[in-house]
Amino acid sequence: MNHSSIESQISNDYTTARTGDYEEDLKKFNWSLLIIEVILFGIGIWNLISATGVQDKSLGLYKSQAVWFGVGMVLTAIVLALHYSLFSRLAYFIYFANLILLGAVLVVGKSSLGAKRWIGVGGFRIQPSEFMKLSMVICLAKYFESDQTVGGYGFKDLLLPALLVALPCGLIMLQPDLGTALIILLTFVTMMLFMKIQPITLVAIAVTSVIALGAVWNFDVLKPYQKQRIVSFIDPTSDPKGSGYNSIQSKIAVGSGQLLGKGYQKGTQSQGNFLPEHHTDFIFSVFSEEHGFVGCTILITLYLIFMMNGLSVAYQSHDKFGILLALGIMAIFFWHIFFNMGMVMGMLPIVGVPLPFLSYGGSSLVTSILGVAILTNISNKKFMF
Amino acid sequence: MAFLGQEEQIREFQDRFRLLYAALFIGFGLLISRLVFLQILMGDQLRLSSEENRLKRVKIAAPRGMIFDRNHTLLIDNRPDFDLEITPQYLKGSGEEPKVISFLSKIIKKPEKEIQDILTKNKSQSFRGVKIKTDLSRDEVAQIELRKIDMPGVEVREEIRRTNIYGDVAAHLLGYISEVNATELPTLNRKGVKYRLGDSIGKDGLERRMEENLRGVDGEEIREVDALGRVKRERKKSSTGQGVVGRQALPGKNLILTIDQDLQLAATQAFGDKIGSLVAIDPRSGEILAMLSRPSYDPTSFSRGIPASIWGKLLANENHPLMDKSLAEHYPPGSTFKIVTAIAGLEEGAIDENTVFHCPGKIKIGNRLHHCHSRHGEISVTRAITQSCDVFFYRVAQKLKSVDDIAKWATILGLGKRSGINLRGEVPGLIPTEAWKKERYGQPWNAGETASVAIGQSFVTTTVLQLANLYGTFSNGGTRYRPFVVKAIESFDGKIIKEFQPEPISQVKLKPKTIELVRQGLWGVINSPGGTAYSQRLPGMEFVGKTGTAQLFRQAADKINTRCESMRYKDRHNAVFVGFAPANDPKIAVAVVGEHACHGGSGAAPIARAVIKKYLEKYYPEQYGEKTLANKLKSLGMSSQVPKAPHSEAVEDEGYAEGGEQEIAPQVRIPMAPLPPPMPVTPREAPSGPEPSYEEGLEGSDTSEAEE
Repeated sequence: MNHSSIESQISNDYTTARTGDYEEDLKKFNWSLLIIEVILFGIGIWNLISATGVQDKSLGLYKSQAVWFGVGMVLTAIVLALHYSLFSRLAYFIYFANLILLGAVLVVGKSSLGAKRWIGVGGFRIQPSEFMKLSMVICLAKYFESDQTVGGYGFKDLLLPALLVALPCGLIMLQPDLGTALIILLTFVTMMLFMKIQPITLVAIAVTSVIALGAVWNFDVLKPYQKQRIVSFIDPTSDPKGSGYNSIQSKIAVGSGQLLGKGYQKGTQSQGNFLPEHHTDFIFSVFSEEHGFVGCTILITLYLIFMMNGLSVAYQSHDKFGILLALGIMAIFFWHIFFNMGMVMGMLPIVGVPLPFLSYGGSSLVTSILGVAILTNISNKKFMF
Repeated sequence: MAFLGQEEQIREFQDRFRLLYAALFIGFGLLISRLVFLQILMGDQLRLSSEENRLKRVKIAAPRGMIFDRNHTLLIDNRPDFDLEITPQYLKGSGEEPKVISFLSKIIKKPEKEIQDILTKNKSQSFRGVKIKTDLSRDEVAQIELRKIDMPGVEVREEIRRTNIYGDVAAHLLGYISEVNATELPTLNRKGVKYRLGDSIGKDGLERRMEENLRGVDGEEIREVDALGRVKRERKKSSTGQGVVGRQALPGKNLILTIDQDLQLAATQAFGDKIGSLVAIDPRSGEILAMLSRPSYDPTSFSRGIPASIWGKLLANENHPLMDKSLAEHYPPGSTFKIVTAIAGLEEGAIDENTVFHCPGKIKIGNRLHHCHSRHGEISVTRAITQSCDVFFYRVAQKLKSVDDIAKWATILGLGKRSGINLRGEVPGLIPTEAWKKERYGQPWNAGETASVAIGQSFVTTTVLQLANLYGTFSNGGTRYRPFVVKAIESFDGKIIKEFQPEPISQVKLKPKTIELVRQGLWGVINSPGGTAYSQRLPGMEFVGKTGTAQLFRQAADKINTRCESMRYKDRHNAVFVGFAPANDPKIAVAVVGEHACHGGSGAAPIARAVIKKYLEKYYPEQYGEKTLANKLKSLGMSSQVPKAPHSEAVEDEGYAEGGEQEIAPQVRIPMAPLPPPMPVTPREAPSGPEPSYEEGLEGSDTSEAEE
């Protein structure tokens, strides 16, 4: 607080000097998140080359990943040129537009591995569910921005936001994409807890959730493979060649990296194809196998610095929308990182959640970059009241 | 812009950030501690698991033993076979797909669309080679290998094809191999022999019988593999040595057969497209010299999986190409059985050399009229064999106490039971007795049936192998050997491991007179003008034998004299011939059955003749070589040429078994053919009593031409 007020004082001294605006903007510009983003992406693409390269260099997945990064950078420039309050004004529009896209996926979407998650736009395939995370956070931030409830939220107060979350979650579950739905739900819960909920409501929600989970389990809402994944999480050895296979092989990959790793492009687990989807959801196992505990600690520390920087953006923001938006975005990042690594290391059941900046996937990468761009925007505009 | 009154709320939020930071550190702390657990605490163990994953024991298939004939001519070999495989993912990723496919399409002459279809169909299998074409030619392999560097995912894979070098020759004897199927595994591995899916196993013939010898011991190599078990391509920075040999493969043992491939080929050629079987045996040891069953199939196509369409066709073929007709099929022996009746009659004292019966062309036994194919008039046992007179043997049957006398001698001579050859699927044949019929049908024996049995019809069935062994046993004076087909087992580097010796099963005691009389009869069949196979003689080689024409269906009375050739194919008689040579020093005995080939003399004897001629010329050139023989015959004033046989009705028409009921026609006597000259006494001598027709032959022309 003290720090920022000093800064604002300094900045106030110069506000009149119009010629200095550009330089001052640059000085105020928060580069930290963008720099970490570039470092993480650099590690990501280097790792992706290892994950896909030996298999066949000509597959060239890293090239398309680089292209998506370029797209993300262009979007970053656009976002930075705007004021994030624009998102506040367009929040519901963005939300419903994205909802329509999610509906469209189910109708005209492209299938892959039994799930319909993509729609083709030009030569690209985009995954609206990825962008839905951001749209959701923008929408919730907008909703609570104007809300004046005091003394914690009660059950009734949460009905509308819950509905706003349930709609996209339902559509995403239909694809089906359990991971993304779960992330949206966890982000919502994080934001709600932050907003303070009445203790009695909290208990009620907890009880309802348990009942709902039971119902979901018993009434075939989940696909058999999804149930199987959860069962095999609890006991991976129950079907080591089947549904428990990924979990076991992934744990072997991570653990066999030991202290220093097997070396770049020498990971036998990933290079030998023992790990399915090792360039997407299981990318962390490739990294940890090849770079060991030391490499992983560096990577996790980078993520931690990233998270702390992001949270400080939320902390330093001076308006409710900015705080909630930044917080929501950081919640998305946190749950992605935590769930992905937890899954790869066998702590959590296998749900398809990509690791930001490291997993292959255009929509996921662009969403992460957009998130960083919005955070940077919030950070840069914090003095402009 | 901040809303009014928000300041307080924001301040409240900022307090909650402490909780958020705490949650963040807890979350990341959990991740790090899990990392410590997996990589530091469990690291060694999980590293081991990853090594076990990566290193796989890869089987090195041991080459299966080869099969040679008695002169070490290679019959069954392991030949490399090249397949074209494409891993679709590699090819797709390269972006060269259309170019590569169009190039391959030209080389292997398969439409581009077809290749594309195969790839599309197998797209889902991740990084697994898809077979595009098997059995590439050397030329195709060379062209593909040359351009392989530009064709990612394209691979030429070498496989082993068990190859029968002579195609369908002796397919039944040699058998075939194919992959073990999952249902047989438990049975196979109970015995302790370790078979795994993908291993080959002998399924028929010697391949099956000698499986334990032919199969080698697979070796083992430890290699770096990927998750699909594929051996990884050599990488420069491989952390471990590739291809560490665990255990060398030990090739299977080779078989040396008693078979002579030249005889097999001669027999195959003589058989042409006839259906049936041939067995040639060495009467001095029981060694099988040739063994064929026609039609046949090419076992080579079985070793790498036979297409269902071909298999279906083989199964559906009404001529049963998959059945070994030499030992798994019952045939009525027809008139070739008459030597058994003759031996029974002579040994039991029912007839002797002086016995003469009158053949009026038909005879009534019980209330049924039995026909002879000719009116032979007064006829003795020797002449009856030569001319295959049915009536004579009907009369012998009447003189014998019962059918059991014939059965007794048939059994002594090895009929009605398995010969004991070490091959699968041998059937015993059937020699009926009164007791047998009583038990089987609950009916008493009747005299008419005895008559039919006497000429090798009725319930009598034999295998071709039994017939060859029967004549072999008779020809050597009564020593019955166990026929065998594997002469020796050899290690892969040519050391003899085991040699099989002749095994006499029994000694049949026959009176010298019996042997002499029957042999004379057999001599006449081929060497006297009235004989039923006179056209088949081999001057100087003392080729003797007996024809048979086995009727398969009882003929209606009005059809009794229909010429066999004009009947429906499936109704035609089987042609049977069994013979041996040389008559007094037999070196080879041959039995032939030609299904629906009508007459033993024309349908079966020429095949036996070709084999015998080939054998004697090949193994005894100093006695039977073409030139030696010509010189010898010339000095005796004969031609080595087989002249055109004077047409005798006996050649074409013999051996109707049973007639329908019919009134006895008025007897017409025809002049009897002269008795054959007596048998030569010493084996070295050429047949004495030269036939007048020998001199009529043309000199200098080919002797191998069988004429009718």
